[in-house]
Amino acid sequence: MSHVLRALPDLMRVGVAGAVAYRAELVIWILTATLPLVMLAMWNAVALDGPVAGFDQDGLARYFVATLVIRQATSVWLVWEMNYEIRSGRLSTKLLRPLHPFWQYATSMLTVLPMRLVVLVPLVAALVWWRPTLLAWPGLTAVLLALASTALAWILTFLVQACFASLAFFLDKTDGLFGVWFGMWALLSGYVAPLATFPDWARPVVELLPFRGMLAVPVELLGGFLSPAEAMTDIALQLLWVGVFAVLTGAVWRRGIARYGAYGA
Amino acid sequence: MIELSELVKIYRVPVKSPGLWASVRSVFSREYTEVRAVDGISFTVEPGERVGFLGPNGAGKTTTLKMLTGLLHPTSGSCSVAGHRPRERAPEFLRDVTLVMGQKQQLLWDLPPTETFLLNRALFDLDRREWQDTVDELVELLDLAEVVNRPARNLSLGQRMRCELVAALLHRPRVLFLDEPTIGLDVKVQQQVRRFVRTYNERHGATVLLTSHDMDDVAALVDRIILIDKGRVRFDGGLRDFSERYGAGRRITVRGGLSVLGPLGFTAAEAGTCSATVPADEVNPLLQAVLARLPSADVSVNDPPLEDVLARAFGEQT
Repeated sequence: MSHVLRALPDLMRVGVAGAVAYRAELVIWILTATLPLVMLAMWNAVALDGPVAGFDQDGLARYFVATLVIRQATSVWLVWEMNYEIRSGRLSTKLLRPLHPFWQYATSMLTVLPMRLVVLVPLVAALVWWRPTLLAWPGLTAVLLALASTALAWILTFLVQACFASLAFFLDKTDGLFGVWFGMWALLSGYVAPLATFPDWARPVVELLPFRGMLAVPVELLGGFLSPAEAMTDIALQLLWVGVFAVLTGAVWRRGIARYGAYGA
Repeated sequence: MIELSELVKIYRVPVKSPGLWASVRSVFSREYTEVRAVDGISFTVEPGERVGFLGPNGAGKTTTLKMLTGLLHPTSGSCSVAGHRPRERAPEFLRDVTLVMGQKQQLLWDLPPTETFLLNRALFDLDRREWQDTVDELVELLDLAEVVNRPARNLSLGQRMRCELVAALLHRPRVLFLDEPTIGLDVKVQQQVRRFVRTYNERHGATVLLTSHDMDDVAALVDRIILIDKGRVRFDGGLRDFSERYGAGRRITVRGGLSVLGPLGFTAAEAGTCSATVPADEVNPLLQAVLARLPSADVSVNDPPLEDVLARAFGEQT
């Protein structure tokens, strides 16, 4: 771990240099992740006649702008990158270095975050100008908890993708399989609709699944829909799922790496 | 420094007949075949040795190197490198070895090589001053000062390959696995790379295991040859022994005189000479026959070129 901490500044520096080199591509990726704004427009129309599942138009705006921000902050593309590197043999380069490949992937993805902010800030500023109530302050505790919960959501997203990507050692290609998970995530994480819109009988089950901890928990904290006291259970659940996927991913990786073919490299 | 004992690697490879029906069938029932890429290899390499690991395409050379660097796990048998089991990929092991593959790159494509050097400093946890000294030494040895600050994508193949070598050696590994390190390079850069590998070996006492189809690499760099084919070791010994075993005699070269010596089995060779390769016990009678026809002939007797020896060795194995 001390090696990781010593390596971080240089890894970040090189990561930022890489992100700057791909800046045009990065802007396009960020703009393609603006689905929450589309959902906001849709739900805004639905809420014209009155609140939906307790969300009025201001509430929906806060929810989907928070979704936009948290989605950008937890963006991970490990499953596609690792799938490519396993199939092409490019993973070999990372395996020949004494820092675990997951650290190398993680730092390269984290260094893009500041670049995302550069694009995100003017976008959010424009939305605040359109609807000033977005500036409603949820309280310092809620914001701090939202930050912690966002970090956990990022780690959970990373581990889930690492798990699916490691299956590529057995199945050759798993980005299609991950597509099934992604569909479930979009529905059950609160990405396309607040989880409060689910029927009462389904909500307790949905809230126990890992998807909520990958997006909805920090979104609801930041939007002021979840009190700090209520959030503690959800954060504990996030930690539990992080633990589950850490163990699962570690097991799949260890078994998978023994089958690695290092084809073409 | 390197020890292999009955090392075996079997790949399980899917097979599919051509055609639509076969494609549909493979969705429900996939057939596999086993390929024994490495079939019980054993050898030892001492510290500081430079060894050529040769064989025809598909002989199992690269698979062996991948097992020795921990990228592949052996099916059976064992190997150790610098006292480590490669498959465990312990950080200390990874700091002791490097693998340079002529057709693969670790340079960050859109960034200058200096950024890759910096990345490797972090990944290998190198002391900043030692790292800087190594960069300076290697950049000077490979004459790269002018190019290391340009994006890798803007460098020529030769410049990129030399930068790859710097990136691969920044942690001063004790064992170098070089897989076709000069493939695709022009003659000048090939010579520069060979000189560099030799200097690195002599300066740091590093062990070198080299695969190459370029016999100039072999002649310039190695003292010992391990020949493998179909996953098994066919020869292990010195360059001279190799030539004697597979050279099948000696090569008599005569300047000019092809029209006179043609009936004796001579054929045209390079730079206006003609030559014939004969078993050792036929050298003297043939020399007498040559001198009887051309009393003042300029004659030399040598081992046949390494290319010919290797072609013959490969031919015998396949």
